Amino acid sequence: MVNARRAIALVLLSIVMPSPTATADDTPSLTVLSWGGSYERAQRQAIFAPFSEATGIDVVVERYDGGIGDLRQAAEDGDVDWDIIDMTQSDALAACEAGLLHPLSPSLAAPAPDGTPASQDFIDGAFTRCSMSHTVYATVVAYRRDAFPGTRPTQIADLFDQERFPGPRALQHSPAANLEWALLSYGVPREELYRLLSTERGLELAFERLESLDDIRWWEGGDTPVQWLVDGKVVMASGYNGRFFDAMIQQDAPIDILWDGQVQEHETWVIPRASDHPELAREFIRFATTTERLATFARHIPYGPARHSAATQVTTHIDSGQDMRLHIPTHPLNAQRAITKDHDWYARTQARVNERFRQRLPRGE
Amino acid sequence: MNRSETREPTTGPMAIARFLALVLLGAAIGGIAALCAVGFVAIVFFLNDTLLISPRSRMMFGHEQWLIAATIAVPTIGGLLAGMLHRWIRERRPHTPADVIAAVQTRAGRLPARAGLLSALSALVSLGSGASVGQYGPLVHLGATLGSLSARLLRLGRSDDNITIACGVAAAIATAFNAPLAGIVFAHEVMLRHYALRAFAPIAAAAIVGHVIATNVLERGALFHVTGSAVPQPWEFAVFLVIGGLGALVAGAYMVAIRHAGRLAARLPLPAVCRPALAGAILGTAALWVPDILGMGQETLRFATIAGAFGTAELVVVLVLKILATALCLGMGFAGGVFSPALVIGTLFGALCGSLVAMVSGAPLDTFIFYAVCGMVAVTAPVIGAPLTSLLIVFELTGSYVLTTAALASVTLASPIAAQLFGRSLFDIQLAARGLDLSAGRSHAVLHAMSINPYLTRECVTLSPQQTIGDAIATLGRAGHAEAYLVSAQARYLGTVTLAELEAMRDTAHASRSLIECTASDRSTLTPDTSVGEAMEQLRHFTGEAIAVVDDPTTRTFLGVVYESSIARAYLQQSDELRREEYGNG
Repeated sequence: MVNARRAIALVLLSIVMPSPTATADDTPSLTVLSWGGSYERAQRQAIFAPFSEATGIDVVVERYDGGIGDLRQAAEDGDVDWDIIDMTQSDALAACEAGLLHPLSPSLAAPAPDGTPASQDFIDGAFTRCSMSHTVYATVVAYRRDAFPGTRPTQIADLFDQERFPGPRALQHSPAANLEWALLSYGVPREELYRLLSTERGLELAFERLESLDDIRWWEGGDTPVQWLVDGKVVMASGYNGRFFDAMIQQDAPIDILWDGQVQEHETWVIPRASDHPELAREFIRFATTTERLATFARHIPYGPARHSAATQVTTHIDSGQDMRLHIPTHPLNAQRAITKDHDWYARTQARVNERFRQRLPRGE
Repeated sequence: MNRSETREPTTGPMAIARFLALVLLGAAIGGIAALCAVGFVAIVFFLNDTLLISPRSRMMFGHEQWLIAATIAVPTIGGLLAGMLHRWIRERRPHTPADVIAAVQTRAGRLPARAGLLSALSALVSLGSGASVGQYGPLVHLGATLGSLSARLLRLGRSDDNITIACGVAAAIATAFNAPLAGIVFAHEVMLRHYALRAFAPIAAAAIVGHVIATNVLERGALFHVTGSAVPQPWEFAVFLVIGGLGALVAGAYMVAIRHAGRLAARLPLPAVCRPALAGAILGTAALWVPDILGMGQETLRFATIAGAFGTAELVVVLVLKILATALCLGMGFAGGVFSPALVIGTLFGALCGSLVAMVSGAPLDTFIFYAVCGMVAVTAPVIGAPLTSLLIVFELTGSYVLTTAALASVTLASPIAAQLFGRSLFDIQLAARGLDLSAGRSHAVLHAMSINPYLTRECVTLSPQQTIGDAIATLGRAGHAEAYLVSAQARYLGTVTLAELEAMRDTAHASRSLIECTASDRSTLTPDTSVGEAMEQLRHFTGEAIAVVDDPTTRTFLGVVYESSIARAYLQQSDELRREEYGNG
């Protein structure tokens, strides 16, 4: 994780407090650690601002690029200033195992508007000991429409086919998604990916496939691949589906998403053990995971809501009026050949697989 | 359910009701067998994950030292447990599909429930602890046991017992492979070995229920998977034929290795209980270097279908080691099937052929998967003696007609060559070693499995050697028989005399001479466990009323006689029952 990238954006939302006696000092505030960029923008509009409006509590947002290294370091230093973290589920599992998080009860979540209990309304696997899923995002490959005249990639194996689809690729400098795609390109069934990646032979095949790529530009922050793709520095890039959507809609960039082989993962809310306001943080999570908030969030950025009741309420993009249902990863058309990321596998193997990955595919300059 | 065992109506509304009830019973057995199969598979996966056998659990666990310890300890302890379980089975060995075939082919039916459940339990332990054995054999045997058990609970006859056994078998295969057609054909091709409409409907019902349960409960990737639309060149079909021929030899090596390992194990100065444990320890140690030989080998199977996942030399090494590992495990007494390892071995063999062809032709093959599948079929079909089932498994799992025709090319030579050289299947070879020869068909097997004991009678004339010739003639005359049996005071059989012989002796000698001074003709004898088939063989060289039965050819204690007419009646009755079972239409 590059620390320089941990640009901290302190934004206090200017909310008119209902009580005239309230001063800045006794106004409680919550610090949320999230992912920055268009994702954070969507969260501000769909969740943070309405929360402050409803409760009078300010939300301060800081930015990170995932992983639990920062949290571990901060906990060791006794210097955790985050109350809530937006974490991928595998990070949440690893952090929970490391004792860095408060346990979260599923009963915290509000029922659906029609009274369906949360336990039935959330998608499978949404609750773990320390985390509650709020959205399903996908790591996908996107490509420039103008890069391959007369043809376009249709399957994930095309990512590795530089004869038919020449040009530099941008990939995240982390094993997640890359290993899955590399092995998938050999034609193995999705269901067996992690079993096969658990063998020396499977890992070796995946690394060989990645090494066979001529020109890889490694990225770490989620905005980078979008920028490179928009600027034409690469012709194919992996990245988060919401960010690519943002570039397609807001910047009208000539890019398309290759849904084949999308790697779906849950994005969750967690509360660090060292949080100063765990009660407030719980209140925030309950608010942020209501059907209404999740459905609204998906109108800003195309991430699939983790609640069935919210998924059916997703309508059009708030700015462009695009039908958002076609852009969320969980839409049946997009999810045909989706990979569900094996959180358990990553939570247990991350350190070792990362190490191998970095050895085999050093970042270079 | 109609409980009468004999004199069932063969036409009319009662017969239809009875037949429909049998179909419903088939569906019910299918449901139970399928659920058991699903549970069995789930427990094996659970054990593999918990006991650090599955690659995924090993990778997630991560502590190198402990993994090494577990790799050796788990199969060893599993072997010990399996060995201990087998002590509770009468034959001291796990029951396998061969036992089911024997029960069906000899119309014995009535698979023992206790041995069946213990065998299933022992297979769970063996598979769970990573022994190089298959899961389909135990599933087939479990299904068959459940089928036979329900026939017994409902007091059905032997023919229906056979059908319910086949139902359990079909459901197990339909569920485990999610291939209902393969299940139906397997039950006919391997178990029943005849085709009767009366059996087809219940078996089909069982397979369908199994299929429905499998699609709704089991969420697993297909056993193999085909991507791309490569079609083999015409010349490649010739290669597939050759792969079939060579595959028969690989299958033969595999079967011979298993048989030899069993014989060698019996000679080891080690109690039978400890043998699987020793096999487990050897397997675990070898797996530290070649992890591909551990367990059912699903990952190895998958990699073998990918060009370049193994080097050519590596393919040979893993192929040979997998054969040895499986022979070691099965020969030393782990419980488990032969099919899953054969799948792995066959696919490795096919991959080897594919990479050799690629080497010769100098270009990577788009059709690599075809070679892998052809190799797989060429090895598995001869091992289980089921070419049609193997083809259907390919067809149902891939839905690819091209791949199925390629497999057909391969199996065309594989099955007959292996049958000529080694035997119809590993099961048949094992049964022949136990004295049950199925090569001459079912009626032969039935007659040879049926002992003459029920036809043994003491209603005959026995004479003591002290009796005089005249006395003997009078006794025979009173009894209305033409033959008498000389039995000593110690109940020893001395020979047979006929009325004609006695008359002749009276003419040449004096009627008051005792029989001991005459020579009684020395006829062949039978023992109570002589089969009807063997008795019929002896009748070829025999003229007379009946054959004497002694307890043992050396002590020759007289037990009674079997009349020639009884043997003929037994033969006719068996033929009649077989004909009704095989040609009856419901």
